[in-house]
Amino acid sequence: MRTQSGKRPLSFWLLTAFFVTFVMFLYGPMITIYVLSFQGPTGGLTFPMRGYSLVWFEGLFEQRRTGDFAGSMTRSLILGVACMFLTVAISVAAGLAFRSKFKGSGAVFYLVIASLVMPGLFVSLGLAITMQLAGLTPKWWYSALGAHLTWTLPFGLLIMFAILNRFSPSYEEAARDLGATPMQTFWRVVFPILAPGLIGIALFGFTLSYDEFPRSILAMGSKNTLPHEIYAMTTTVTSPSLFALGTVTTGISFLIILAALGSIAWINKRRGQSLGK
Amino acid sequence: MSATQPNRSGDIVITGLIKRFGTMNAVNDVSLTIPDGAYCCLLGPSGCGKTTILRMIAGHETPTSGSIHIGGQSVLGLEPIQRGTALMFQSYALFPHLSVRDNVGFNLDIAGVAKSQRNAAVADMLDLVQMTRLADRLPGQLSGGQQQRVALARALITKPRVLLLDEPLSALDEFLRLKMRGELKRIQADLGITFVHVTHTQPEAVALADVVVVMNQGIIEQAASARDVFMAPRSPYVARFMGAQNVLDGKVMQATDATVSLTGDQGAQFDVPLGSQRVQPGDSVSFAQRRDLCHIVRGAVMPATNTVTGTVDAIEYQGSFFKITLKDISRNEFIVHDAEADFFANPLVRGDKVRVHWNTADARLLQPDYAPATDAAVGGEAGH
Repeated sequence: MRTQSGKRPLSFWLLTAFFVTFVMFLYGPMITIYVLSFQGPTGGLTFPMRGYSLVWFEGLFEQRRTGDFAGSMTRSLILGVACMFLTVAISVAAGLAFRSKFKGSGAVFYLVIASLVMPGLFVSLGLAITMQLAGLTPKWWYSALGAHLTWTLPFGLLIMFAILNRFSPSYEEAARDLGATPMQTFWRVVFPILAPGLIGIALFGFTLSYDEFPRSILAMGSKNTLPHEIYAMTTTVTSPSLFALGTVTTGISFLIILAALGSIAWINKRRGQSLGK
Repeated sequence: MSATQPNRSGDIVITGLIKRFGTMNAVNDVSLTIPDGAYCCLLGPSGCGKTTILRMIAGHETPTSGSIHIGGQSVLGLEPIQRGTALMFQSYALFPHLSVRDNVGFNLDIAGVAKSQRNAAVADMLDLVQMTRLADRLPGQLSGGQQQRVALARALITKPRVLLLDEPLSALDEFLRLKMRGELKRIQADLGITFVHVTHTQPEAVALADVVVVMNQGIIEQAASARDVFMAPRSPYVARFMGAQNVLDGKVMQATDATVSLTGDQGAQFDVPLGSQRVQPGDSVSFAQRRDLCHIVRGAVMPATNTVTGTVDAIEYQGSFFKITLKDISRNEFIVHDAEADFFANPLVRGDKVRVHWNTADARLLQPDYAPATDAAVGGEAGH
């Protein structure tokens, strides 16, 4: 392509080629799966498409065809939501506490953040072994929840630090000056002001848990979470229902992210342009 | 309104107040009395401890030692609302998620006042600050000046006996600053409650305050009426900070009952009224001399005393006069306010050598600074 000012430099073409390759690797396989999930009733796992249908989506809810999709999805959603609420609650409390430099705050901070670099598989393995010693059986709704929190809390805390960076302590002083108790100050002033940021933490808490694989593997007990169910299906399911599954789970993630971003935008719009100024 | 109620006196008595942060004394043994209903300005450069004093009166900072009494009652350990104080924050700290109406009504809401009653009180208060029209807006949709009015209304609705203002005008542009300055004074006069206003701007303090408290490094250099601080500064720091006076040094040659004779850096002879001070021959002293009451000697006759020679370093037109900055007179710059007509009759340029003379009555002997001089002092001169 020539422009009026002359030829584009070689670097432009190299970087463009790199970017196009990146986009193809990122979205190409996903788009293939979405397209194939609409395969006709007589079609197979690969191209060509033999017509278009929604029959493979119906098949999702029949266990004989795909395993326990509905059950694992319910489990992962419950786990994700529980993880979300706990991540927000704990991150907010911890973030507010870290504002005052208490004794040993540095050490506590590094202890929390260290779990970001721990291999997830070993978190899961260690948890399973410890529970065995304690005579407990891992279950998705408590041991897997704990394992997921080791992953979501450091993220939640780091986001909380970023949020509090822009949060002036004078809001709290103003509330106190006007006669509010610490509880009233938190619920009427601090929480509503932080709310848009907390939606971000909630989003991380949910999505990191929803598609968590290594930390669940030995901590979830006998019932699979959704990522594990899907992984099991890749070896057993031989119909395009597998692709339909991918389309549905992607759709759900997408809706959640849209809802989160939409509500942040809505809150910010309501408050005019100068939040926290 | 508050002044008419019993036990609602807003006189503030601060005694031996110290606030230590780490090893530094932000407020260093301050004692101060502010009468009920006074407009008091705490004035000083940033880091001088004025805001810390304000926050200790407000109850947002705990003194290391010392006492604070409001209306005869010790307020240490009390919540702000129990103290009868209300603080207007420098950033205003309006709650961004609440409308103007809900921001102003926050205190009444917290106190459980019924909605109809609350709305009536809020309406009165918004009326006072002329914000009724914008009651449903959110703070983010207001200009700086409007936000400030809301912050003022929100503080005043608690019916404080003392209103504390932390640099209330610093975020406004020049035009709004002058306008709001006038309104603050009007509201204070209407309500008759004590205002304590922190600022680093001299004209603001002089225009507003009944009591000006000039601070430096956690110490009060002078607490007096605006006129006294301006015209009769106690120490070289106050004279320089207020900006209306030149500060000169000299060695005492001889002292009579009324006048002391000094020899200056250049060997010039000065006569300065002695006032109530006691000096001995040989003492090093400083004195202040008003910039508007000295004049450039344009004739050939040179008076024997109170005359200095300097080089013109800068000339600034100020409308009714020229501000002429001279160097080579002392360690400090020396400024002459030359009348417009005099200047145009005999213009000066940078580099001219000029002689300046003043009358003995227009000089004042100063007492030493309490705080050791630092670069934080206006002009950045070295100390004694």
